[in-house]
Amino acid sequence: MTKGLIIAVTVWLKVIRKKDVYVLLILLSALLSWLTTMNIFGLGGTTRYVSDTGLLLAWFLAWILAVNVSARELPEEENRGTIFSLLAKPITRAELIIGKWLGAWTVVCTANAVFYLAIWAIVAVKSGYIDPSAMIQGFVLHCFALAIITAIGIAFSTRMNFDAAATISFVFTGASLLLLPRIPEFAVKEKGLRAVVMSLIYHGLPHFDILDMRQRIVHDYGPVDVSTMAALVIYAMLLTVFFLVIAWLAYRKKLFSRSELM
Amino acid sequence: MNKAIEIVDLSVKFPSRGGFVEALSHINFSVETGQVCAFLGPNGAGKTTTIHVLLGFLAATEGMAKIFGEDVRKSIARQRIGYLAEHPDTYRFLTGREALSITGRLFGMTGRTLQSNVNAILAMLDMTSAANRKISTYSRGMMQRICLGQSLINNPDLIILDEPTGGLDPIGRMNIRKIIGRLRDEGKTIFFSSHELSEAETVCDHLVIISSGNIVVSGAINKLIKPGENLEKYFMKTIQTAAIHD
Repeated sequence: MTKGLIIAVTVWLKVIRKKDVYVLLILLSALLSWLTTMNIFGLGGTTRYVSDTGLLLAWFLAWILAVNVSARELPEEENRGTIFSLLAKPITRAELIIGKWLGAWTVVCTANAVFYLAIWAIVAVKSGYIDPSAMIQGFVLHCFALAIITAIGIAFSTRMNFDAAATISFVFTGASLLLLPRIPEFAVKEKGLRAVVMSLIYHGLPHFDILDMRQRIVHDYGPVDVSTMAALVIYAMLLTVFFLVIAWLAYRKKLFSRSELM
Repeated sequence: MNKAIEIVDLSVKFPSRGGFVEALSHINFSVETGQVCAFLGPNGAGKTTTIHVLLGFLAATEGMAKIFGEDVRKSIARQRIGYLAEHPDTYRFLTGREALSITGRLFGMTGRTLQSNVNAILAMLDMTSAANRKISTYSRGMMQRICLGQSLINNPDLIILDEPTGGLDPIGRMNIRKIIGRLRDEGKTIFFSSHELSEAETVCDHLVIISSGNIVVSGAINKLIKPGENLEKYFMKTIQTAAIHD
């Protein structure tokens, strides 16, 4: 586990040292501030509108960041050839995958915390109120959703280059985020094989919608009870472990070609 | 003498269109502790494939490879190895000192032991003055030296170098050669592949020549090369003979 932490630290150092992430964070925060203060349909003064738009953006931006950071790590090691000197150390491929995932996840969660703080600050400036316990629960569950997304990004990147892994991760997680909650509406009209396929997709893909507390925060429904929260966290942890195991299975006997370095 | 490297009946096959390509064909050789062994062969002979099996990057199709008696598939076998890859690269966003320090931590080093090892390696590589600069600002030769430093940070008993002077200018080559000489004088076991035959001749005491996935020669250099002959002549003669037999 210590070796995994050392790998995670190198992911952090790369993010901190490469200035492009700061630029991205500043741009995203500026976009967040600008969009949440727009006065569409005269709703600009309504704090519900501000928090709704802000949280939607936080989900969108954190999703982009999670896929980009996680799908980049392993292909970059292979392209630069640093994978050879890394795997020549007494480190297992499982430790490498856990380290890369841990680094990517904690980086994205930190950026996510900045987004949530920005939303809270904008709402506070507009003299609005967000239930802090619901907001914290929403943030925690959002971070667990990001744990699954980063694990998916890592899993795809074990066998693909960055571009392919990022594209497939976006399609896979995007379908889960946006289409999955709508499937029951379509499935009731279907029969036979199509209904079975829809049911398989509905139950097979990760349900990010149940980890999404935006509506509870925006409409002030209050926090969920402890047992529900625990069940959601366990669900997210199981899925994260599942995708990390897939990543390890795909990576444990992978051959590295020298032609990748040329 | 103990065996630092032991390869027994090792074969590696890669899947190819409609069958397999045999990169290594039942090869056998060993390297004793304290030897400096040059691993020579033409391009595509199987040198890097052999090194990759030793480091656990590739699985053998048949046979076995051991390092200090440990199966190379176990990560513990790599605890006593230092490895410099062909065309080495490292995290360029780190400083030289940080790169060595992080590598040391992967070997379980911490605190003063780590710091003193890092300082000693930087001094040996003549990199102390550039230690706090980012690696992205280094020249190719400096990068090669810091990568060599990463492979030496754990004070390894066996050092595996894949084309250690490849792509370097004469001064860079001389610096690396000096470091190899110093490691040899310290009694380290060194196993290196190279195309620079004159260079290999000056530092090695043992020779393994591979051609088309077969070991054609293995032995002490002073027994293999006759007086008046040099390694380059001997190598050319051996490779040509092996090609005729193929």
